[in-house]
Amino acid sequence: MYPDRKGYFGRYGGRFVPETLIPALEQMEKSYLELKEDEKFNVELNDILKNYVGRPSPLYFAERLTSFLGGAKIFLKREDLNHTGSHKINNTMGQALLAKYMGKERLIAETGAGQHGVATATAAAVLGLKCTVYMGAKDAERQRLNVFRMKMLGAEVVEVKKGSQTLKDASNEAFRDFIRSFECSHMVIGSVVGPHPYPMMVRDFQSVIGKEVKTQFKELTGKMPDYILACVGGGSNAMGIFYPFLDDAVKLIGVEAGGISLEPGKHCATLSSGKEGVLHGALSRVLQDEKGQISPTHSVSAGLDYPGVGPEHAFLKETGRVNYVNVSDKEALYAFHLLSRLEGIIPALESAHAVAYTLKIAPGLSEEECLVINLSGRGDKDVEQVAGLKEV
Amino acid sequence: MSQLRERLNGLKKSGEMGVIAFIMSFLPDKKLCLECIKALEQGGCDVLELGMPFSDPLADGEMIEKFHHRCVEKGLSLKEGMEFAFEVRKTVSMPLVIFTYFNPVYNMGIPEFRQALEHTGAEAVIVPDLPLEELTRLTEYGLDVIPMIAPSSPQERIKEADKLNPAFIYCVSVRGTTGMQVLPEEEIKDYLLQVKSSTSSPLALGFGISSPEQVRVFKGYADAVVIGSLLASIIEEYEAKPELLPGEIERTIRNFKKAGLSF
Repeated sequence: MYPDRKGYFGRYGGRFVPETLIPALEQMEKSYLELKEDEKFNVELNDILKNYVGRPSPLYFAERLTSFLGGAKIFLKREDLNHTGSHKINNTMGQALLAKYMGKERLIAETGAGQHGVATATAAAVLGLKCTVYMGAKDAERQRLNVFRMKMLGAEVVEVKKGSQTLKDASNEAFRDFIRSFECSHMVIGSVVGPHPYPMMVRDFQSVIGKEVKTQFKELTGKMPDYILACVGGGSNAMGIFYPFLDDAVKLIGVEAGGISLEPGKHCATLSSGKEGVLHGALSRVLQDEKGQISPTHSVSAGLDYPGVGPEHAFLKETGRVNYVNVSDKEALYAFHLLSRLEGIIPALESAHAVAYTLKIAPGLSEEECLVINLSGRGDKDVEQVAGLKEV
Repeated sequence: MSQLRERLNGLKKSGEMGVIAFIMSFLPDKKLCLECIKALEQGGCDVLELGMPFSDPLADGEMIEKFHHRCVEKGLSLKEGMEFAFEVRKTVSMPLVIFTYFNPVYNMGIPEFRQALEHTGAEAVIVPDLPLEELTRLTEYGLDVIPMIAPSSPQERIKEADKLNPAFIYCVSVRGTTGMQVLPEEEIKDYLLQVKSSTSSPLALGFGISSPEQVRVFKGYADAVVIGSLLASIIEEYEAKPELLPGEIERTIRNFKKAGLSF
């Protein structure tokens, strides 16, 4: 069972944060492990997931995409249909409820594309908590709609104008806030990154995705899927859909953002090109230069634009259980348009990366084989940005 | 016994409040930085804590973060920082401690870092993003580490820090990052007394120390204060008047030292 007692997945994970935060993380871990087994907590969380988030999300057979590609049958796990439009809400509702049980009155979040920020602001609103969201100024510009949404939901949005002005710097600021306010605040990390217990906790809250797929797929076909694909930035939607299948004979593929090219600074393919390192509280793979400074990154998708990755993914790459690949901005954009036209589903640019890799492999597979894509979010937030890209 | 331990133990015994100065390598430029360091020594500074640049300095507030970023933008990193430390060592004789985030160290390799540290003559290392559990990554290579303790630390963690037999324990005086407002006086005093009851190591109080008055208040509770953000803001303020900078640094340290003298 991973992580181990100290929060490690093999060599990866742990807690690399200032000593000040350790008691808060220990308290959080203890509360989480207790509440995980607590009936009242689970009844409440399941009720929220069902009646507020709208779970279970459908598993949809993408017939036109399948016949267009002429190979494996393609199914979409429709996390885009969740309340707030992505899988992020599974985790934020879980953590917000945890925060409430722990007696915290305020939530702090970092956000890239803004989906996690919106999902945290939403959870705060419905549970009556205060909320501050940190967002890189560059991301706030390219995802303006989500900034408005967060503010409408009552959250304070702090635009971070330091460093690369993206998720990495927003995370730094959120951590700093947490270090000074942990007595009354809970930091809702949006991915399977950060110090222990976050990678475990976020994975557990997101694994509802994989559990549902297992049941739904069996009902539809009577068997297991052959492939499951998900995009990987920090890696929470991927971890959520992979985790319940780790012990099954299902091929798991994580798709990273290959950006413009695999030259330094032009992509976010952390598992392919990163080195072991410490960023935001965990030992994992990190995009860094030869001197150990964290590298700038690029992706057309703000939600994948991050130089780190969850430690459990680093571990699953090392054991070989999950195959990690990457697709370029261009390929992701093509998939974005194709899915929109063929299925009437506008995917988030993040999720479009998983679709893009499917386009590469599905035609080469037999019609008997089945492939599930985690469609982690909807693309409304990206429409303005994509419309502004001339080449498409 | 190392010069660092000797100095801290001396302070503890005398009841005098020592001054530890944090300076970021290379700023405003290499030459002026060395002059500032000389000025620190002339002002009576007890220990120099030399900062190594990192792109994502989580434990630092705005002032010092800006300094990290300025260095990183110039392409400076741990390797250059350690070469600079070697020059510092040749220039001044006060004990030297290296302050660095963990990733550059991990990237360099811990045995290589240890070698570099020995070469510079620095006697210990402070790594703000390594909590006690992870310090063994350094101590197993024989590195002398300075553990950090916070107002939130329970008694058993103070005892863990004590087990490392450090030259001193760095007691963070805020719930937050460097440069922040310190907690109320009485709260800090209680906290320092609590730390004291679990360890015989000298204690340095840092993060948010900005006036000699604080030295007077906490004398007898801690054995030294660490000044960082204050010096960074002086460096920034006097950048345009570089000829005045060393004098201003020296004057500042002298004021702190005067406030810390035993009666």
